[in-house]
Amino acid sequence: MAQTGFCDSRPLPDLHKKAEERCAPLRTWANSCPLKESRTPSEGEKLGEPKYQTEQTYRWVRRLPLSAEDGIIMDYAEQNGSLHQVTGCERKALMDCLTGLSGLQSLTELLPGLLHRELERAMSKMGLICDRTFAWDVFTEMMRTQLRCAFPNADLPPPFTDAMRAILVDWLVKVHMLFHFSEETLYLAVHLLNQSLRRIKVSIASLQLLGMVCLFLAAKKEECLLPEVSELCYLMQNAYSKAQLLRMERRVLCGLRFELSHCPPLHFLLLTASIARCSDKVVLMARYLLELSLLEGQCVVYLPAQLAGAAVCLARRILQEPPTPESEAAWCIASSIHVGSEASLLSIMEIMAVAAARADSRETRATFIKFSTADTLYVSIHPGLKTAPSLYGLSSPQT
Amino acid sequence: MAQECSLQYEPVAEIGGGAYGTVYKARDKESGQFVALKSVRVQTDQNGLPLSTVREVALLKRMVLFDHPNVVKLMDVCATLRTDQETKVTLVFEHVDQDLRTYLDKAPAPGLPEGRIKDLMRQLLQGLEFLHSHLVLHRDLKPENILVTSRGQVKLADFGLARMYNCHMALTPVVVTLWYRAPEVLLQSTYATPVDIWSTGCIFAEVYRRKPLFCGESEVDQLTKIFEVIGLPAEEEWPDVSIKRDNFSPQSPQPITDFVPDISEQGAALLLDMLTFDPLKRISAFKALEHPFFQED
Repeated sequence: MAQTGFCDSRPLPDLHKKAEERCAPLRTWANSCPLKESRTPSEGEKLGEPKYQTEQTYRWVRRLPLSAEDGIIMDYAEQNGSLHQVTGCERKALMDCLTGLSGLQSLTELLPGLLHRELERAMSKMGLICDRTFAWDVFTEMMRTQLRCAFPNADLPPPFTDAMRAILVDWLVKVHMLFHFSEETLYLAVHLLNQSLRRIKVSIASLQLLGMVCLFLAAKKEECLLPEVSELCYLMQNAYSKAQLLRMERRVLCGLRFELSHCPPLHFLLLTASIARCSDKVVLMARYLLELSLLEGQCVVYLPAQLAGAAVCLARRILQEPPTPESEAAWCIASSIHVGSEASLLSIMEIMAVAAARADSRETRATFIKFSTADTLYVSIHPGLKTAPSLYGLSSPQT
Repeated sequence: MAQECSLQYEPVAEIGGGAYGTVYKARDKESGQFVALKSVRVQTDQNGLPLSTVREVALLKRMVLFDHPNVVKLMDVCATLRTDQETKVTLVFEHVDQDLRTYLDKAPAPGLPEGRIKDLMRQLLQGLEFLHSHLVLHRDLKPENILVTSRGQVKLADFGLARMYNCHMALTPVVVTLWYRAPEVLLQSTYATPVDIWSTGCIFAEVYRRKPLFCGESEVDQLTKIFEVIGLPAEEEWPDVSIKRDNFSPQSPQPITDFVPDISEQGAALLLDMLTFDPLKRISAFKALEHPFFQED
């Protein structure tokens, strides 16, 4: 197995080494809490993997002084209030974009009204809006914001490589689970990491610190409860001091010019799934595939809505649930959200299919393990995933 | 990196030494443009920059993307460490030379024509409606932080900073003006977006009068002056606060035209909708823009 300079120089020692050694830093806290069987060992899966514990994690819990009446922010769950300056012209252009690209020209007349109604229903169900009249405004705003979330190219500045980034993201998935953060926090953290890697100069030695700071900032934006800085340092085996962490926080904030807004692909996924009336299993499978895409360096060039659309499409193909006329009609409406060309959707699905087929044999398997539990309906060990690449004419990897 | 702000912007003059710390006019060495530099000192504990500051500045940055014409533009932000306990967050805003106070002072003798007033108020309300739709309160709206460009464009400034400034305020013994403060704030009750509409009402009256409407010297004095005009509110409208209604003498509402003689009939109606005691019954920025006052010509 190829060793990177990255892991030699600084501790992310759990990953990227021999399977037994891999759990090392997480073992420091895993040791102090009892292991819990979270999935059946039927897949011949080694059970020495660290399991994410709950008891241990409450040490850091601390109420944050955030009183609504004292602040300017009254509700931050989704800060898209309404957007009144979307002009009719933009709206039309967007509508054209939505309906024109999915081979649904015949439905163009019918779709806007239906889509509108379905969006309203789905968004209020998700709690993205408190007033249905704002649904369209919020949706248009999501569609616009996501344009700033994709990168022009997938190149990382040297000396960083996609493999290093994947190891770091995998580790962030574990830390994220440990703290029971919301999924939005993870997507924001990885987005901030992608931005920071391109905008501020860091050495390989401080890559893990950068990743942790991105997660910390994402938590500051999304979560009500924050871990202590000392806890974060402990999770990095105290390789960095608290002062170093706080200095990195300032560097990231300045480097990103405090631009911490993100449009998580997860929101598009849940919207699409809700409109398409997807089963729980399809939603979980799609969430699994979408989370796998966080590790794929090439995926940063795609729009959140494209990534989400591809994840739902692929999940449906893998699970092959028997179609009904209602589900087909619902899917028709839902698929009009996936802006972009069929070709890019296909490329994303290929990347995801390959990643999912290899997921259990890779070094970076936190997401695989996360989605292999009873709570997640064992989606990551679904047999269909092994053969998924063949759906796209690719050979399944030998494992 | 940390020194970026002080390197890129060269202070030219002090333009505000108000309650919230010093504001500098500065020149951007890269573009030659003038900017306004506002520094906020925030306490940093062992957990770094406070969550409220991170969220508020991120929200301000996000609002920049909408590029609203009636809101002053935030051009840059940077954070520098001053001491272990204090971080200085510098906000770089576009610079506008004139505020509404100087604009009114410069207006020739009979005051502004109603058409001009209508335009100013419409722009002010549009800016406010934008802030409120993003769940941002101004909390300290007054003629000094409403900027008017040489082309007559209104831009709201200093919004969303109220809480960031709060921690610093305790250290400065400067009296903050009460004249534009809504009754629910003076009574220390809960408050939300309607506080800005109250301030807008006071400013609306002031644009006609060319002097402030309620010039109280203390919280109670300010409330007394308010009730002398709008009347003592009914018992059931009085919020559950420690200052009791019995402390004020009974008053009936006075005709608003006694205080703002030049206002038109529709203007007076809108002004009364803004100066409504009960915040829940007070008109919203969105509704105010639809008021007949702005339709008639």
